[in-house]
Amino acid sequence: MQENVITGEKIYKVYKLGDERVFALNGVSLEVKKGEFVAIVGTSGSGKSTLLNMLAGLDRPTRGEIIIAGRHIERMSEGDLVKFRREHVGFIFQAYDLLPQLDAIENVALPLSFKGVGKRSRRQTAISYLKKVGLDKYMKHRPMQMSGGQQQRVGIARALAVKPEIIFADEPTGNLDTKTTIEVLHLLQDVVHNDGNTLVMVTHDRHLADYADRRIHILDGEIVLED
Amino acid sequence: MRFSDKFGMAWSSLLKRKLRTMLTILGVMIGVASIVTMMALGEGLKRQSLELIEQYGGLRTVEVREGNNQGGQNQQEGAGASDPTKLKLSDSTIKTIEGIDHVEAVYPVLEFSALIQWGAYKMNIYNGQAWPLEAIREKNWKFAEGDWPRDGDELKFIFGNMAIQDFEDSRGNIVYWNTGKTVDVDLMNDKMFTIFDVEAYNASQNNGSQEGSGAQTNDTSAGQNTATATGTPGQSSGSSGSGASADGGNTTVTPAPKKYVVPTAGVLEGTLDDFYEYSWNVYCDIEALKSMYKKVFKNKPIPGQPVRKNGKPYPELFYSSLNVTVDDIENVEAVQKEIGNLGYQATSNSEWIAQSREQSESQQAMLGGIGAVSLLVAAIGIANTMMMSIYERTKEIGVMKVLGCGLYDIQQLFLIEAGLIGCGGGLTGLGLSCIVCILINRVTEAATAVIPVWMYPVSVVFAIVVSMVAGYAPSKRAMSLSALDAIRNN
Repeated sequence: MQENVITGEKIYKVYKLGDERVFALNGVSLEVKKGEFVAIVGTSGSGKSTLLNMLAGLDRPTRGEIIIAGRHIERMSEGDLVKFRREHVGFIFQAYDLLPQLDAIENVALPLSFKGVGKRSRRQTAISYLKKVGLDKYMKHRPMQMSGGQQQRVGIARALAVKPEIIFADEPTGNLDTKTTIEVLHLLQDVVHNDGNTLVMVTHDRHLADYADRRIHILDGEIVLED
Repeated sequence: MRFSDKFGMAWSSLLKRKLRTMLTILGVMIGVASIVTMMALGEGLKRQSLELIEQYGGLRTVEVREGNNQGGQNQQEGAGASDPTKLKLSDSTIKTIEGIDHVEAVYPVLEFSALIQWGAYKMNIYNGQAWPLEAIREKNWKFAEGDWPRDGDELKFIFGNMAIQDFEDSRGNIVYWNTGKTVDVDLMNDKMFTIFDVEAYNASQNNGSQEGSGAQTNDTSAGQNTATATGTPGQSSGSSGSGASADGGNTTVTPAPKKYVVPTAGVLEGTLDDFYEYSWNVYCDIEALKSMYKKVFKNKPIPGQPVRKNGKPYPELFYSSLNVTVDDIENVEAVQKEIGNLGYQATSNSEWIAQSREQSESQQAMLGGIGAVSLLVAAIGIANTMMMSIYERTKEIGVMKVLGCGLYDIQQLFLIEAGLIGCGGGLTGLGLSCIVCILINRVTEAATAVIPVWMYPVSVVFAIVVSMVAGYAPSKRAMSLSALDAIRNN
């Protein structure tokens, strides 16, 4: 029996719009085990992104418990959440969100610098991960000099570089063409199955969700299906 | 996050927006330059006024004169009152004053009068000053001709640059006033005779020619008065000598006193119009004068010195004044007060200094305030630039937060950026103000603007601090940006 990396217990998120209360998340409970590739699937407005933000410690639930890597994060202060993310979480963004003034190595090394890792050692780490994602020839390129697929590979290397216990990816292929999308998804599969990482991906595309080991379908803030 | 990494990031983000960074730095530069230049102008004014005071007798000196008896009586009730020399300035007074805190040196000054003759011309020295050699050497006077007398030299005179204008012709008219020209005498090399017993000389002149010129009559009137009132040689002590010799009134011929050749050690620098402390005076070594007095007057009373009730001189010489050097300009007033409490008259430039300081400080503050306005404007510019930069980088900051960049690290990033702008502006502003000051001084041909040494580090540090204060609010804002909102707004 694999241990749980993520445990969510009856997570609620309620927004107030005027006098009306909107339930973005309506009592969601879920578990993610170590070494799993899980996709959260839902249409836009279903609450899938909200769930991801909760699990990643970017937002707090109105009610419920979230235990990640053995720690309750639902009541952490903002400073503690930052520290938590720095130490346990990797992120892959839809729009890659690399810093434009930094080259590929520096972008991958950036989160390590937040940890206080020395320049030489973090560059070495960054280079090894860039090699892993197949960007040997683009080490010195700035984001503007790379294709979308290449930029997202840099993004993946950046998420891996901190050796997180869990990686979150928010529509990681949303800005890519079909061919590159498949390449990136294969890379993500490889990262999970061969390197023992845990990955939670949010997507609206059922077809893409098929690349994951397990799918959690969300509709109107509730889990409707797990397969 | 390591400081070097934060510094590097701040640096690269400044480089990324070169033009804006330069414009912001330019603002700080102008602000700093205007403050520093204004302060330098104020400092220049202050130094000029202190220099002026220095020319009029020094910044750290207290002049002590003998106490007047009335003032002294209160304290001297009883034993003291019986000793008329109690408040006169003697070697023991020097010892006393040397014992006061903050007193660095005490030099006696003996004023002397003498008459110099050169051919038909003569010069009256009324307040010639005899100083210890080391004391006048300290004044750093420059010589037009000649040099300081050496220790142990015979008596030699040092003339001020305007003293030569004092020569009178045989009828007592000042030559320079009448003709606009000085007497054609070479003070250094021409043989001049000096008469120390001026009273006796005047008396003898008077005997020779009853119809003497008005000026001479005036000079001698004091002597005549005492001569007629023989037997009461009290007040005008110096006259007693001549009074005795001129006893018998105008009919007896008084023998002219002996003349001495006193060589000139030097003439002090300056044209006939340059006024300095020394300009009108004649100086000499006090030790040399003392031995000359012994030779001239033997055991007769010396003019200007007090005598006992029986008309005999005291064995010691009393000084006309004492020149007290205080260790620091701040202590002058206290020392002056203490000497005053001893019963002596003490004067210094301290009030003048205090007044001129106060004045120049308020000037400086005003000038600095004018400069500060432009730095304030620059500070607002910094705040604006930082704000813009934060709006532009909202997304970037958000991503960094999501990736785990500490909140205080983010704040410090922006503070370092602001500090770098301040540092750049401070250094360039300092450079600019140096150039401006050099130009001002060149145009005015004087040290009108002087940047005090402490100003160099202080202005740069000040610029950095002001910039960081201006950058504080924006940095706080960057820190509190919601990471979620930041990554959402694509």
